[in-house]
Amino acid sequence: MGLKMKERKELELLANQNRRHIIEMVYQAGVGHVGGALSIIDILTVIYELDVDFNNPVRSRVILSKGHAVPAQYAVLCSKGVIDESEFKTFRQLNSRLQGHPYTCDIPEVDATTGLLGQGFSLAVGHAIVKKNNKENTHVYAIAGDGEMQEGEMWEAIMYAAHHKLNNLIFIIDYNRLSSGGPTNDIINMESFIDKVKAFHLYAIEIDGHNMEEIVSAINEARAVVDKPTCIIANTVKGKGISYMESVAKWHSSGLTDEEYEIAKNDLQKIEVKIKNEL
Amino acid sequence: MNYNLTTIREIIGDVLCEVGEQNQNIYVIDSDLAKSTTTDKFQKQFPNRFVETGIAEQNAVSIATGIAQEGKIPFYVNFAIFVSGTAWTQVRQACYANANVKFIATHPGLDAGYDGASHHANEDIALMRVLPNMVVLVPSNHDEFKACVKLAIKHQGPVYIRAARDVVPDLPSQSDVEIGQSYCIKNEGNDFAIIYEGTSTELAYQSFEACRNKGLKGQLINIFSIKPMDNEYIKKISQEVKTIITLENHSVIGGLGGAVSEVAATQSYHAPVVKIGIEDVFTESGPSQQIKEKYGLNVEHVLKELNGLSNINNNNKI
Repeated sequence: MGLKMKERKELELLANQNRRHIIEMVYQAGVGHVGGALSIIDILTVIYELDVDFNNPVRSRVILSKGHAVPAQYAVLCSKGVIDESEFKTFRQLNSRLQGHPYTCDIPEVDATTGLLGQGFSLAVGHAIVKKNNKENTHVYAIAGDGEMQEGEMWEAIMYAAHHKLNNLIFIIDYNRLSSGGPTNDIINMESFIDKVKAFHLYAIEIDGHNMEEIVSAINEARAVVDKPTCIIANTVKGKGISYMESVAKWHSSGLTDEEYEIAKNDLQKIEVKIKNEL
Repeated sequence: MNYNLTTIREIIGDVLCEVGEQNQNIYVIDSDLAKSTTTDKFQKQFPNRFVETGIAEQNAVSIATGIAQEGKIPFYVNFAIFVSGTAWTQVRQACYANANVKFIATHPGLDAGYDGASHHANEDIALMRVLPNMVVLVPSNHDEFKACVKLAIKHQGPVYIRAARDVVPDLPSQSDVEIGQSYCIKNEGNDFAIIYEGTSTELAYQSFEACRNKGLKGQLINIFSIKPMDNEYIKKISQEVKTIITLENHSVIGGLGGAVSEVAATQSYHAPVVKIGIEDVFTESGPSQQIKEKYGLNVEHVLKELNGLSNINNNNKI
């Protein structure tokens, strides 16, 4: 079930607009985890487009376990009208509802209060248990970082989900290969994710996490699985879309200078033109 | 005072079944100790609302938070050391989200006697009461425990209920308990006040009687709610009596004695607060009553401390 070219390009445009939101937010605030937000933004954009309906009280959930990538979630929520662009400058500042990590008490639409790595898959299991009991036709998406998978609780959650065949659960590992301290696999080797999650009895799909065709196809495939939870291993690039940020460890967390901001804007502008030309 | 002895743990499963029958939103989460905590009764009656995580306490607490965020009321029931210790940051995140999660912690303090110091949860009150949004309740009998479960269901937000594994007097409640209220069980004078938490009830009764036999007239106060604390009442007591003795099956650091001291200290003049509990040490294996005896939770210790202060205060000598 291939995506029509138009649909694909529209998703790409939307993701590019969300990238711009991320850059605006981190530039205006002067702080933030920009690299890991840019690596998940394509996937996050697709999930919200395909499967999250804020007008329906019974809806799918998105648990951002790698909570530091919250600029990506705020960017999407801005596209959805939950957050206003004028709030971006308040990100991580005093008296703002745009907390440094997702916080449901201020913005219920973020779906989970996260931030301490390692807990999000378990939170997602909790949501999935209730949704299954309710016989809802909804899903729970939980997005983790590759380094975050070094946390033991994530595997506890996977064990539970597999044992109880929670097929309404879709785990996503953002495999951008960079952690705060350097290459993830130099810190603790996580290879091979695909073998590991298969051994834990999950349905595993490996994709290019920046290819809209593959993202949409993986999510549709995951939603059709009946006897298992799915884990999508998304090969991504930290800092994706900004020339000087891609796969550069420094951009795990950093503000942008005026000059860097201009280059970033220019990079995204070029991408936009390219997508529009292909439309 | 004549009474039989019982444990609070033995009724946990029955109480949860009772509320689970009335309220379909109640979930119970276990980590391979359902038999010990008696939640296996809930498991049999409501298998769809029973979550068995296996030996994965952190996972269990985060799952409970997820369940709560879907509008349900999960009770995570496990030994106090695991609930308050193993999964502390998970509990903290639940509190941060003000998630509607309820914790029932069995085997608090020295109640896991034979298991030894690794399992003695002498820090749980300190670890739980420091968390914003958390309510900490310490029931002293069956009626109060049942009330705690009902209060927890009514209250929106996280609640920690400390349920004794060791014996407590099998007596009915003297009043309907409420979050944030303490209860005067005996008021015979102002020589002293013994303030106790639920799992130390028997020692409190025995100590009160021993003081009375020495000719001292005092008050016996069931704290019931450690957080929020009945601040005005504690302030009043601290100005009324000559000595406050706090009794707790917990470390003397950060627990009931700490909480009472924090309140009393806000008064210009207040009674000295003598904290009786586990000193700043790791304990050892043994029958819980004997460990309590050895580590200072005994009547003689109460009398000794009271006597020491009486000398200083030049009051009634015991």
